Amino acid sequence: MRWVIVLAVLVMVVSLAATGSAQQKLKAGFIYVGPIGDYGWTHAHDQGRRIAEKTVAGLETVYVESVPEAQAEPFIDKLVQQGAKVVFTTSFGFMDGTLAAAKRHPDVIFAHASGFKRAPNMATYMADFYQVYYLNGLMAGALTKSGKVGYVGAFPIPEVKRHIGAFALGVRAVNPKATVHVRWIFEWFKPAAAKEATAALIAEGVDVLAFTEDSPTVVQEAAKRKLASFSHYSPMQKFAPQHTVSGQLVHWEKIYVDFLSKVQSGKYTAKNLQDVDYWWLLAEGAVELGGDFGVPINPAYKSRLQAAKVTTPDLGRLSVYDLVMKRQAQMADPKMMFDPFTGPIKDRKGVMRVAAGKRMTVGELNTMEWAAPGIVGPWAKEP
Amino acid sequence: MKRFGPFHIEPVQAPANSWVLTVSVAAVIAAFVAAGAIFWAFGINPLNAYAVIFVGTLTDRRATPEILRQTIPLLLCGLGLVVAFRAQFWNIGAEGQLLAGAVGGTAVALFLPLPGPWHLAAMFVVGCAAGVLWGLLPALLRIKLDVNDVITTLMMNYIALFFVEWLVHGPWKGQTARGFAYTDTFPATAWLALIPGTRVHWATLALGLTLAGLLAFFLARTRLGFEIRVLGENPLAARYAGINPLKTIVVAMIVSAGAAGLAGVGEVAGIHHKLLAPDQISLGYGYAAIIVAWLARGSPLAAVLTALFLGLIFSSGDVMKVALQMPFRITDVFNGLILFFLIGSERLLYYRVRWAPGQAVPDPSR
Amino acid sequence: MIEYLLDTVVRAIAVGTPLLWAGLGEIYAERAGVVNLGVEGMMILGAFFAFAVAHTTGNPVVGLVVAGGVGGIAALLHAFVAVTLRANQYVSGLALAMFGIGLTGVLGRGWEGVPLLATLPEISALNYLSVVAAAGLWFVLYHTRAGIVVRSAGESPAAADALGVNVYVVRYLCVIFGGVLAGVAGGFLSVAYRPSWTEGMTGGAGWIAIAIAIFAGWNPLKAIWGAFLFGALYYLSFRLQTWIPPELLRMMPFAFTILVLAATAGSRRGEGAPEALGLPYVSGQR
Repeated sequence: MRWVIVLAVLVMVVSLAATGSAQQKLKAGFIYVGPIGDYGWTHAHDQGRRIAEKTVAGLETVYVESVPEAQAEPFIDKLVQQGAKVVFTTSFGFMDGTLAAAKRHPDVIFAHASGFKRAPNMATYMADFYQVYYLNGLMAGALTKSGKVGYVGAFPIPEVKRHIGAFALGVRAVNPKATVHVRWIFEWFKPAAAKEATAALIAEGVDVLAFTEDSPTVVQEAAKRKLASFSHYSPMQKFAPQHTVSGQLVHWEKIYVDFLSKVQSGKYTAKNLQDVDYWWLLAEGAVELGGDFGVPINPAYKSRLQAAKVTTPDLGRLSVYDLVMKRQAQMADPKMMFDPFTGPIKDRKGVMRVAAGKRMTVGELNTMEWAAPGIVGPWAKEP
Repeated sequence: MKRFGPFHIEPVQAPANSWVLTVSVAAVIAAFVAAGAIFWAFGINPLNAYAVIFVGTLTDRRATPEILRQTIPLLLCGLGLVVAFRAQFWNIGAEGQLLAGAVGGTAVALFLPLPGPWHLAAMFVVGCAAGVLWGLLPALLRIKLDVNDVITTLMMNYIALFFVEWLVHGPWKGQTARGFAYTDTFPATAWLALIPGTRVHWATLALGLTLAGLLAFFLARTRLGFEIRVLGENPLAARYAGINPLKTIVVAMIVSAGAAGLAGVGEVAGIHHKLLAPDQISLGYGYAAIIVAWLARGSPLAAVLTALFLGLIFSSGDVMKVALQMPFRITDVFNGLILFFLIGSERLLYYRVRWAPGQAVPDPSR
Repeated sequence: MIEYLLDTVVRAIAVGTPLLWAGLGEIYAERAGVVNLGVEGMMILGAFFAFAVAHTTGNPVVGLVVAGGVGGIAALLHAFVAVTLRANQYVSGLALAMFGIGLTGVLGRGWEGVPLLATLPEISALNYLSVVAAAGLWFVLYHTRAGIVVRSAGESPAAADALGVNVYVVRYLCVIFGGVLAGVAGGFLSVAYRPSWTEGMTGGAGWIAIAIAIFAGWNPLKAIWGAFLFGALYYLSFRLQTWIPPELLRMMPFAFTILVLAATAGSRRGEGAPEALGLPYVSGQR
């Protein structure tokens, strides 16, 4: 009899210990700059949050949407008060507020998206598209008949500028005379503005479009006129199945799961984040080529891209379709055998910006203001 | 006069303060009940929701100073509007005048380096003047050409908005802002001190409270204040009394636009320490200030309370977002309902209910 | 050059049509003497309900009808407060605008990003209908007895009352009419122009409609050219971006409104505001 009791106690103790370590409850808070319904940046972060919540055992999440920049701190305080041990702030404008809050809550872990200031308990993270935009550019260069490609840009900040730059470099790699026409709408999310900007670009003769705006407007507008476009951020191919060539997709959950798992396992603490900076690209699976998940190139455009041939310095003569797949493989390789921003690159004014044989550093990419050759249109603060 | 049994409802000229308070409170409660219906539609028990909101807003040590912080611009703009509305100058442009003040303050902060406390003082002076300048055109058009001031002040809001956008995207874009739409951060001499542990820039708050006292005195005891009150209540009588409407409207404009300009300086010097996108500087303070002024029913001192109340509403909106995970627009729903019920209850102010059970004889004046 | 102009005209019509619908409604409301600052709220309510109903029923026209109805109901509230309760019209309108924006933001959650298949073409008969409607409303206003009744309610309600016009009813009807048109205008945005729902999607169009009403001197025919001018300027702010800062172009409609107001003020009668605009009317002694 005694043995049964001892055994039962042992089983209980072991199972308790097991559940204890497997179910470390962790509460994470998310501060969003826009509404989760925006089908762009905030929507993607929220999708990442949901997937992380399902994937990471014991994780519970809370979020606040449409937080004005000046109110990052009070909302962070509210989340911490609700028991959040990790707080993600998802916009550049939250940077100073997050830093101040990090100082006031030294035992809470913070991670700030798209920023550059860090602290022992504050890391930074970013999933960037520039490689994917280069691949999009290759395709755009092949598909444009008028030689004019369009881009509807949100704000002339380095992030968008480097995306347009990578896109233009891709376009020119296939079509050295093509031009990339840019129009700015000065909003992240303004379907009406995107619509009129698209109309303005089309009126100028562009026949392929890419954009940075958090709605499928550009895709739909282009499709109405039977023009090709590249989806942005969320899978927008379903809005124009015959006219979306490819696009850029993001998997914020890759970063969230990695970060939160490391917090849970104790690898990340509130003291050692000073140098933690995620700059995740194709190689880490944080971004993906395609207008829909798992569809890097729309089959409707496959034959046209296979028919277009281009000569490259390192891969010889091949179809654009093959070039895109090869470049993607090169960039997704952890050794990153190819980078679009490899010199020599001059900007559109002829000034040398990247020396021969050198690649732009992450710091340079984050502060990029110059315009790549082929870009036509207003370019604020052009050096 | 109408009679319902022992209750007599009679019109009154000047309602008693207690009655005004009762009606206002009843209107606000009615608005809360209506908003409760929206909570209920969202599957949230309204009573529970309100409990959470009040607890979260009033008892949270961290959150209470935030109420004060939101109150500051509401107070300054609201005070100005109290005077403007008294003079029947319908200044809907507080939003734009706030932005103008922010621009003026930024100009001094970034381009006019002055030593120590002079820097901030200059910012406030220039910001106030910028606000006044912004209100000048609508006021002049009203005086000289009798152009509707509601529309002109409203249009100036939009012009101010695009002007600020142009500045932060173009000529004033910061060198250190990584290309984002901000100006450079202000130098240390242009930062307003905060109450430690909070984000309340107390100098602006003190400015607001002082202004409340000054305006109360101004309206009640000075001749100009008297003229404003008469012009507002009875323009015909004012004309017969020889009151110059031009002068009074200009004064009303200067006070309201200047106060809004001060609020703008407070925001950029106390909270943001730079100029940024207009919808980040003002979270609709200029429009909410209309409610502040309206609720205050013409009294600058009452505006202090009503500004606090609106600050509470703004803060509770934040609590709703976090604790109840409600969409952020819920604050607008509250504000709209409160304003609407207040307006709807205006008529009630001019009646009073008298209890007189003994009167059985019908009133011949009926 | 011709292409440029034609292209601009087409875009102007696309952008300007909802502005015209809402502007026409506001003209009638103000002609009867009631300022409705709640147009933005009514438009966005219309936009949401049109989208939701069109999505649910699969019929965009039904969506527009419901949108008009919702706008009318909101306007009814405004009319009640402004005409029967004789309270401050400006504040009542503002309250409704705030409420409308807030309510749609709350109700619209979950509708964002939903694709709408039951849409109307961007430029369709409805756009041309707006011009026809403007002409028709102009005719009614200036050349029929009904129009005189409406105008008298706004110019001198006491005289109209003495002649047997029920000023209250006229004002109610005109305000509700304005609300219905504002709702339809909003519905047009979410079902035809940009088939989608996003909170705050009217983006100030309601305020522009009010500006158009004034810019046009409360004349429905002039509202046509006002609405399309605003539309053209919006489009051109993108087209001309290489040469002119877009913020400057987008400022222009608002600056223009002030200019026009200043220019037409005090000029011959019929151009200025209705005399009794914004003033509550009391019939006889009550």
